[in-house]
Amino acid sequence: MSMYMKLKDSTTTMRILPFLFLVFLLNSCQEKQELVPVEITPEDYQNAVDHVTEIMIHDIFSPPQASRIYVYPNIAAYEIISHVDPDYKSLAGQITDFTPIPTTSDSLVNYPMAALIAHMDLSKALVFSEEKMTSYSDSLNNTWSEKNNLEFEASKEYAMKVVDHMNRWIDADNYKQTRTMSKFTVDIDDPARWQPTPPAYMDGIEPHWNKIRPLVLDSAAQFKPEPPPPFSMEKNSEFYKELEEVYEVSEEITKKGDESEEIEIAQFWDCNPYVSVTRGHLMFATKKITPGAHWMGITEIACKDTDAEFNRTVHAYTKSSIAMFDAFISCWDEKYRSNLIRPETLINQYIDENWKPILQTPPFPEYVSGHSVVSGAAATVLTEIFGDNFSFMDDTELPYGLPVRGFDSFNKAAEEAAVSRLYGGIHYRAAIDEGLTQGQMVGQWVIQNLQMKQ
Amino acid sequence: MALINKYLFGLALLVMLCGCSENDLLFELRTPSRSGVDFENKLTENDSLNILDYLYFYNGGGLAMGDINNDGLPDLYFSANQEQNKLYLNKGNLEFEDITQSAGVRGNSTWNTGAVMADVNGDGWLDIYVTAVVGINGFKGHNELFINNKDNTFTESAAEFGLDLATYGTTASFFDYDLDGDLDVYVLNHAVHTEESFGKVQLRYTRNEKSGDRLLRNDGNTFTDVSEEAGIYGGVNAYGLGLATSDFNRDGYPDIYVGNDFHEDDYFYLNNGDGTFTESLRKYFGHTSRFSMGNDVADINHDGLPDLISLDMSPEDEKVLKSSEGDDTYQTLEMRTQQYGYHFQYTRNMLYINQDDNPFTETALLSGIAATDWSWSALFSDFDQDGEQDLFVSNGIPKRPNDMDFIRFVSSDKIKNRANEKRLIDQSALEMMPSGAVSNYIFKGNASIGFTNKTEQWISGNPTVSGATAIGDLDGDGDLDIVTNNINQPAGLYINKTNDQARYLKIRFDYRKGNSFGIGSKVEAWNDGVLQYKELFPCRGWQASSEPIIHFGMDDILEVDSLKIIWPDNTYQVLSEVMTNQTLTISPQNSAPYSYLKPAIDPIFKKVNGNLGLNYRHQDIENNDFDYQKLIPYKVSDRGPIMMTLDSNNDSLTDVLFRGGTKAEAILFLQNKLGFTKDSSNENMPDSVDFTSPDSYSSQYFVSEDTNGDTLKFEGGYTTRYDFGNIPPSKVYYPDGKQELLEDLGMVTDAVWNDFDQDGDKDLIVVGEWMSPKFFRNNDGELIEDILTDLPLNGLWQTIIPFDIDKDGDTDYLLGNWGLNSKFTASQNAPMVMYYDDFDENGTTETVVATFKNGKYYPLMGLNELSAQMNFLRKKFTTFESFAGKTMTEIFGEEALSKATKFEVNTLASGFLRNTDNSFIFTEFPEIMQTAPIMAFECFDFNGDGKESVLAGGNYFGVIPFHGRYDSFPGALIDSETEIRSAHTVGIDLSLKSVRHLRVIRHNNQPYLLVINNNDDVDVYEIKR
Repeated sequence: MSMYMKLKDSTTTMRILPFLFLVFLLNSCQEKQELVPVEITPEDYQNAVDHVTEIMIHDIFSPPQASRIYVYPNIAAYEIISHVDPDYKSLAGQITDFTPIPTTSDSLVNYPMAALIAHMDLSKALVFSEEKMTSYSDSLNNTWSEKNNLEFEASKEYAMKVVDHMNRWIDADNYKQTRTMSKFTVDIDDPARWQPTPPAYMDGIEPHWNKIRPLVLDSAAQFKPEPPPPFSMEKNSEFYKELEEVYEVSEEITKKGDESEEIEIAQFWDCNPYVSVTRGHLMFATKKITPGAHWMGITEIACKDTDAEFNRTVHAYTKSSIAMFDAFISCWDEKYRSNLIRPETLINQYIDENWKPILQTPPFPEYVSGHSVVSGAAATVLTEIFGDNFSFMDDTELPYGLPVRGFDSFNKAAEEAAVSRLYGGIHYRAAIDEGLTQGQMVGQWVIQNLQMKQ
Repeated sequence: MALINKYLFGLALLVMLCGCSENDLLFELRTPSRSGVDFENKLTENDSLNILDYLYFYNGGGLAMGDINNDGLPDLYFSANQEQNKLYLNKGNLEFEDITQSAGVRGNSTWNTGAVMADVNGDGWLDIYVTAVVGINGFKGHNELFINNKDNTFTESAAEFGLDLATYGTTASFFDYDLDGDLDVYVLNHAVHTEESFGKVQLRYTRNEKSGDRLLRNDGNTFTDVSEEAGIYGGVNAYGLGLATSDFNRDGYPDIYVGNDFHEDDYFYLNNGDGTFTESLRKYFGHTSRFSMGNDVADINHDGLPDLISLDMSPEDEKVLKSSEGDDTYQTLEMRTQQYGYHFQYTRNMLYINQDDNPFTETALLSGIAATDWSWSALFSDFDQDGEQDLFVSNGIPKRPNDMDFIRFVSSDKIKNRANEKRLIDQSALEMMPSGAVSNYIFKGNASIGFTNKTEQWISGNPTVSGATAIGDLDGDGDLDIVTNNINQPAGLYINKTNDQARYLKIRFDYRKGNSFGIGSKVEAWNDGVLQYKELFPCRGWQASSEPIIHFGMDDILEVDSLKIIWPDNTYQVLSEVMTNQTLTISPQNSAPYSYLKPAIDPIFKKVNGNLGLNYRHQDIENNDFDYQKLIPYKVSDRGPIMMTLDSNNDSLTDVLFRGGTKAEAILFLQNKLGFTKDSSNENMPDSVDFTSPDSYSSQYFVSEDTNGDTLKFEGGYTTRYDFGNIPPSKVYYPDGKQELLEDLGMVTDAVWNDFDQDGDKDLIVVGEWMSPKFFRNNDGELIEDILTDLPLNGLWQTIIPFDIDKDGDTDYLLGNWGLNSKFTASQNAPMVMYYDDFDENGTTETVVATFKNGKYYPLMGLNELSAQMNFLRKKFTTFESFAGKTMTEIFGEEALSKATKFEVNTLASGFLRNTDNSFIFTEFPEIMQTAPIMAFECFDFNGDGKESVLAGGNYFGVIPFHGRYDSFPGALIDSETEIRSAHTVGIDLSLKSVRHLRVIRHNNQPYLLVINNNDDVDVYEIKR
């Protein structure tokens, strides 16, 4: 290494250099190891995303926030590989305000490695617990630099340039501004409007998420769903019937017991990053992955099942995370527009004051169901990439003590995720049906408007 | 020489070290090996029984102190949660013998809680009553009553007496509520009901057999449950932890205060004298502790009225404070109070000063005892015998379940894989909660309502987990010793070494059969016109009873002028010239009926029914300041209504105009012979209204004018909407149309035109928040600022009025400030500071308020609050532990702080500027004027003696639950510097309302006082002269 540097700096010996250098290189390699390009596997990429998921669970990011933490690192990685892989087309000009990333002429750059470095570095900036990301990336970096430091340094240098470019773009997505925007003001006079729910009675989260810059949608309200059935506590109104359905379904499946399919489905798709538990003064939380993380997991399964190589893996992750990112913006736009009260509040008030939903009601308005929108969007995009009738075993929730479930297609999985909210007692039927449709529309829009494959 | 110096230095050091040793403490901690009291409440936690299964797993055992063998020495009975209870016989010389086995009092319940002594069967010998938790987690047994066999043995007889309750018992208090001569009992139970959802307050009306409190009437050695007919709530949501009995309203019948944990309100049962009680919390308490724990009653301010403390769990230590879950959010509190119907509750100790038939004044912050961490027992007593009530607070919990890192991070790492299991958390996860062993607290009381922390000077500061506490004179030396029941540690015996440094008077009663210890008796000790008042209710503090005696500290008084004993049957007798340093045993003798009639007050103010037709109710239009700016120190949109008096229709009668906020319409009330009528025509509405008080917050205007012919106008800037700290300039308008901007004045709230330099024209004085009073001299129509105070007097000034308070002939200025009963603290040396900047550089400003604590500046708010506004802090501090205890500089960095705009407050006290040769010296008002912000003054000859007085009103609610609710100022009538009376003594009580204006108007040639309240009705009072 030091010898190489010296030689390179010395212009007078340049002419004889290539030969000398080669000899030297061969000699040194025979003594130590061969300087071959480091192979970056799809598993490396999947593991890095899994690690980001773990950190997000620890840090407690809400579902919309989590979608943002997934998407930007994926885009950075995708842009780097699309740069050299003629099969893939850059997103520059295709997603909002995004310009081409810098290029490099350094032939030592290992593009998959640069993609992964950029991914990890951006992830580190987006989560809270940086040190958890750093310890992970440092160990990878060490391995790479031991194997081939030249390649590593070159890849890292390039990755950092891309990260800089990404950061300037990310910084303008209005996230920073929305952090300080007003809290959601609860309307306690209107019985139809959302109110904080037990046990934590948390404020409504992310009331300004519709102000986050969308990637493919032209606006947050582009796929504004039909309004929910008009609020009414008249027994024969559509709204009341849906409320009653939540209660009755819940009662019925509770009778069947914890082993019932419905309860299993509800729990499988809970995807609530922070379920707070209170026992007197004792408080703790069970933390799970978000809906976005679950679909990232399904993406991983699909990649593995199809033996997708690195670039295809990055492509799948990127496209599905873009769809979910926009899905959350679209969904949250509606949530705070219709600002609808949760079934738990109404059932406690009008039907059964001791009723508790099977899942803990998450802290934001009811309509539409976030999991339904996001699942609809993700399944639509994954179907486009991997095909319909793609059957898979979903073991995403295994680390959280939940079983494996098998699905015949992504759409079947999305439908189950959607209806799980009814079983869980946290959504009315309309939010599930309309949510799924809304998500599919977002997914279709992404498919129609993004040209990622050449 | 140098050698000798070194030697001397070493010696001095040695002396100093000795000075800090245990020997110099007021209380010596007596070791178990010396005392023989080796009781330890051992808790064994395991996977099938821990705090997850039983929410009060850490509440500890009980403790009763009393003389079971009538040898004059108080004995000790400890209850253990899981193991044997123990009885220790006091053998004298502070030596005790464990006689549990021979006495037959080990107890048979699975889970014991409180333990009290009382002469239940009325035979003159103390019996022991132990409460138990029965019916959850396989806990078996029942409350046990050990009847004294008068030979150091006992017979468990609970069933025979009808006291074998098998409920979720906390403790009990024996007293005679119906004054029939025997002891009845109030059994305090606690809920185990889910506290996950608030539930409706109506739950309290439906009796639950297990968790509902019980009142049992003694019908001659059998007890009858009279809870329902007596009006005692018994709901499933009552987490009864604190129980106090006292004749709070001094009518001769004992009343009851019950402290409830969590969201259920505390209960204040006033005894109706006919066997029933009326729960009256809301009438007498503006707010209460939230997680109410133990409580105690004593008259701490010599007015003969029992005052009350209720403990909570607010930590004092910055590290603990900032890593523990604290108060609710503003929104949660609003929901719990407005939608669910609960009362205002805040997470800190509360000290309620009894104001007779008016609401209690809550002064814990002003008194210096608001935060004593995870506190269980409070006991007032005069430990140093200087004639003032001191306070002992037991403290500590084996594990802190509200540690925010545990809640959010630590526990979940452990329970990740258990999502599908019934039992979400196991013992190994629970072990990861941080320890909550801390020092107990002891405070020295002053002559009024203040206390000074004497922990580490009076008692050892060693960490313990102490719960039930009892006091009494264990060694018979006259001063009071303290005993605590500790978890997983030997009981604490704190032996008082006041000894002969100050005198005492101890009184035992030998009252009638049925209540031979004279429970419910009252003693007034009078000396030099100073009253010490005590009641005998030994079941006090927390799951405990103390020695059933009355004890007074008598300082150096050899002979006390008189003792008035008021017996439970409401007869009394007086003993004159009683020697101190003795133990008296007093029996009824020539006692005469005692009259509880209170001396009639001659009220100056009398509420007018119908308000003379001035039926204006103000309502704030915008109510979400904290939604928009999460970190502002207080609201700004709630300073209305604004009001003015005018003659709008030129009929020579004063009309009144109100406007209730930025967008609200003005409402005019026209005066006529019969009163006032609302002017619906709008034709009398003045074209332009120069309001002489701050408008709402977009830009607040205050206009005043020089009445000397040429008109000078002043318009004060307050704040910019959604940009607290951005102060719009104030303006002076000159008669020639010239306009002058005053950029750096401060957040102006009030101003007055007054000739302070006595040159015949009106000068201007301006007050406001985060600013000092500003003087502008009127020099021939030109306003020139003058510095007339020697010190900066930055305050949160609300109002100013000229008044010669020191009666020296010149004009002084009374100033309303924030008061001293809040979590804000400020002084000349350690001002409160507020930084204003866009710290997170996202285009929106924020403010951070910091106060000085132990030599450093800390933000008032915690990581959750600060990071909700400044997201970058979440990245900088990924755990609460890493944030807790960090100073402002450590959190934000020197550069950011020096770049920010800095505001300061040097004093929060209301007071007056004393005019001395045309310069002004600030003098603080007395304590009764510091209990809340003062927002309004009115000057008038209220009592018709030809001299003007000033009436002050205030209170303010626009703060987050962390601060509580400043509702405790009843108003005050100020005749002079030395004559200041609480307003309720003159017929008007302004507490619990937030007063914005006081104004005297005339109607039919009679003066009336208008009290204009925020978010409430106007109140009209007749002024009787």
